[in-house]
Amino acid sequence: MRRHAAILTAAGFAAALLTACSPGSSSDSGGAQQADEKKLTYVYFTDGPDEQATRNLIAEFEKQTGAKIDLQIVPFANLEQQLQARLSGDNAPDIARLSNIDPFRDDLLDLNAFEKSALDGQFIDGAKAYITGKDGGLLAVPSDLTMNGPMINVDQFKKANVALPDPKKPWTWTELIAAAKKVQQANKTQYAIAMDVSGHRFATMLSQYGTTYFTEDGQVALDKAKATAAVKQFADLNNSGAMPKDVWLQAGSKYKGANEVFLAQQVPVYISGNWQVSAFDKTAKFTWKAVPNPCQDRCGGFPGGKFMVSFKKSKHQKLAAQFIAWMNSAESQKKMCQQAAFLPTRKDLIASGIDFPTRGEDMNLFLADVKQTPADTYANVYNPAFSAAANAARDELAKVLAGKETPDAAVDAMRTAAQKALEVTK
Amino acid sequence: MTLFARRERRSPTANGRGAPRRRTVPRNQRLAPYLFVLPNMLIFAVFIVYPTINNFNISAYDSNNGRTFRYVGGRNYSELVDNAEFWAAARATALFAVCFVVLVTAASIGLAMLLDQRIRGRGLFRAVFFLPVLLSPVVVGLIWGWIFDRNNGLANTVLRGVGLGEPGWLINDKLAMTVVIFVALWTHVGFYTMIILAGLQGIDPTYHEAAMIDGASSWQRFRSVTLPLLRPTTMVVVILSMIAGFQAFDFIWTLTGGGPVGATTLMVQYIYQHAFESPIRYGLASAGSVVLFCTIFGLTALNFLYNHRKAAA
Repeated sequence: MRRHAAILTAAGFAAALLTACSPGSSSDSGGAQQADEKKLTYVYFTDGPDEQATRNLIAEFEKQTGAKIDLQIVPFANLEQQLQARLSGDNAPDIARLSNIDPFRDDLLDLNAFEKSALDGQFIDGAKAYITGKDGGLLAVPSDLTMNGPMINVDQFKKANVALPDPKKPWTWTELIAAAKKVQQANKTQYAIAMDVSGHRFATMLSQYGTTYFTEDGQVALDKAKATAAVKQFADLNNSGAMPKDVWLQAGSKYKGANEVFLAQQVPVYISGNWQVSAFDKTAKFTWKAVPNPCQDRCGGFPGGKFMVSFKKSKHQKLAAQFIAWMNSAESQKKMCQQAAFLPTRKDLIASGIDFPTRGEDMNLFLADVKQTPADTYANVYNPAFSAAANAARDELAKVLAGKETPDAAVDAMRTAAQKALEVTK
Repeated sequence: MTLFARRERRSPTANGRGAPRRRTVPRNQRLAPYLFVLPNMLIFAVFIVYPTINNFNISAYDSNNGRTFRYVGGRNYSELVDNAEFWAAARATALFAVCFVVLVTAASIGLAMLLDQRIRGRGLFRAVFFLPVLLSPVVVGLIWGWIFDRNNGLANTVLRGVGLGEPGWLINDKLAMTVVIFVALWTHVGFYTMIILAGLQGIDPTYHEAAMIDGASSWQRFRSVTLPLLRPTTMVVVILSMIAGFQAFDFIWTLTGGGPVGATTLMVQYIYQHAFESPIRYGLASAGSVVLFCTIFGLTALNFLYNHRKAAA
């Protein structure tokens, strides 16, 4: 008995000792000691064909500078956790490709300290506030831009004798739905329209209906009437069988693309984004093309994108900044866009356009939508609270589709979630 | 003479005084067993004990990066109490665990009884029931997801063929939970059946022979001989399946993703989402883990106590 009591006391003392300590390492986000060797580690997640394009550019950089780049590919789902673990273990990579820089904002290197002349003011204005640090430093470089938009099965449209939308006179949501349903009936496809299970993709519809999650100055926006109209339209499409309700409900809380339904020719209209262009070019067994985003209250799509960053803990800060600047020079970014079917983020390339070697018509159509897309959408996608708000919107939409919530209540819940997301990320 | 004298001095029974004393074992031999288990205990301490204790610690902090921690006391726990999603996950976990434990225990006893018979191909049947245990849970989730797909799945293709409609297996919350329980049962029943089978084979056949001589029917022998003698084995199955039930995650993640509308989101998924999905909240996830740990620990302790008392009675 006495021995048990001693063991318990020792265990309790150990636990108390541990509890008294703050977990984690000391938060040292200061600069790391710099090394002379010309070797960089680049943590990267790939969307597909961009990997080879990146490797080609890396080979060119290595040839020009004599540096060595170790490209480390990680799954997107594990990216944030892996980077956090590496930063905790003082094993920070020199460069990383990110879709969300906020969790790392305090760890990012000010690239202006090394490459101000090459980088400052060169990229889309919409991202400026997001990539600028509290002290005015440049924390990230927007390395590629994505634009949401619809793609259609041309063969099925032709068979149904339905005219394709004119890029100069975009269709409305009403016209898109009518055309898609007609094509569905003529081709006996399972669905008329498909959309990826993603709050980001639904944000496109919200924007076209005239509202967004956040205002440009970072407050909750979601206009009740406009958002409810968008949710109602979305629910009607799903409940009538025009959209695959099962895809949204079966996904649970996972991201799920509807690309397989489109590739299986079970839906003539697929709302996704330009990153599908390169993949569909290789995998689609039918004629397809990108078409303009539908207009309702507003036109244009919804942006997204990736960033290149370096870390304060990098042991090769100068070379890392040099590499990021080189990868995002007009010449390199143009090559990247051409090889990977990406949209440029540099203002000069957006203005001049890009001569895409394959699927140029589709890519330039997305590029044209970049110019049509309202400025507040950029403020939304680069708001730190965007991911949480978009995920909440996805979950509320699923509740509406399951008949557990009205569109009206779903919009109220989306507003509440967006507000909470703002508070958590402040 | 000297030897005898020494033995007499060491053995109190020899001179009739006191209880027998243990034979003295050399120090290096006494240490040997501890050295053998030391590597395993070190791994256990580093990867299980320390993280478990540290998890209690982290639950009192807030962190979104694992490097900077802000002390918040019990706020993560109060946030859990006020969180509807947490309670939904707790309810779903309880429902899943109870159904899983009851069904898997009953099914494994039933299957073990059948597989204990002297039938042709007995080894093959045992292998067939055990095979799903060897499959990756991720693969199990994906396969059953395809089977239960409403439009193109095998289950509904068959049901449509015989005019029974096409149930939304994975889009209706009650059906989805039923599917999840069924898949868990299919995956794990072989493992628990093997444990019960080992217990059955440990029962002395003379008990059954005596009961038969007394005229007991098959049911009476099962109820009054087999089940009581299987109690220790059944307790192992109940405890192991209960722990597995509360920790279920991997195959559900690939089967339903926790949907529809969170109907199959269990506690581990809730913890995973807060720990590994943006926005990361290690403190809240750790508080959820502490709650889960205490629940499993408490229920296991209750189970032990109940069975000890039952056995003593």
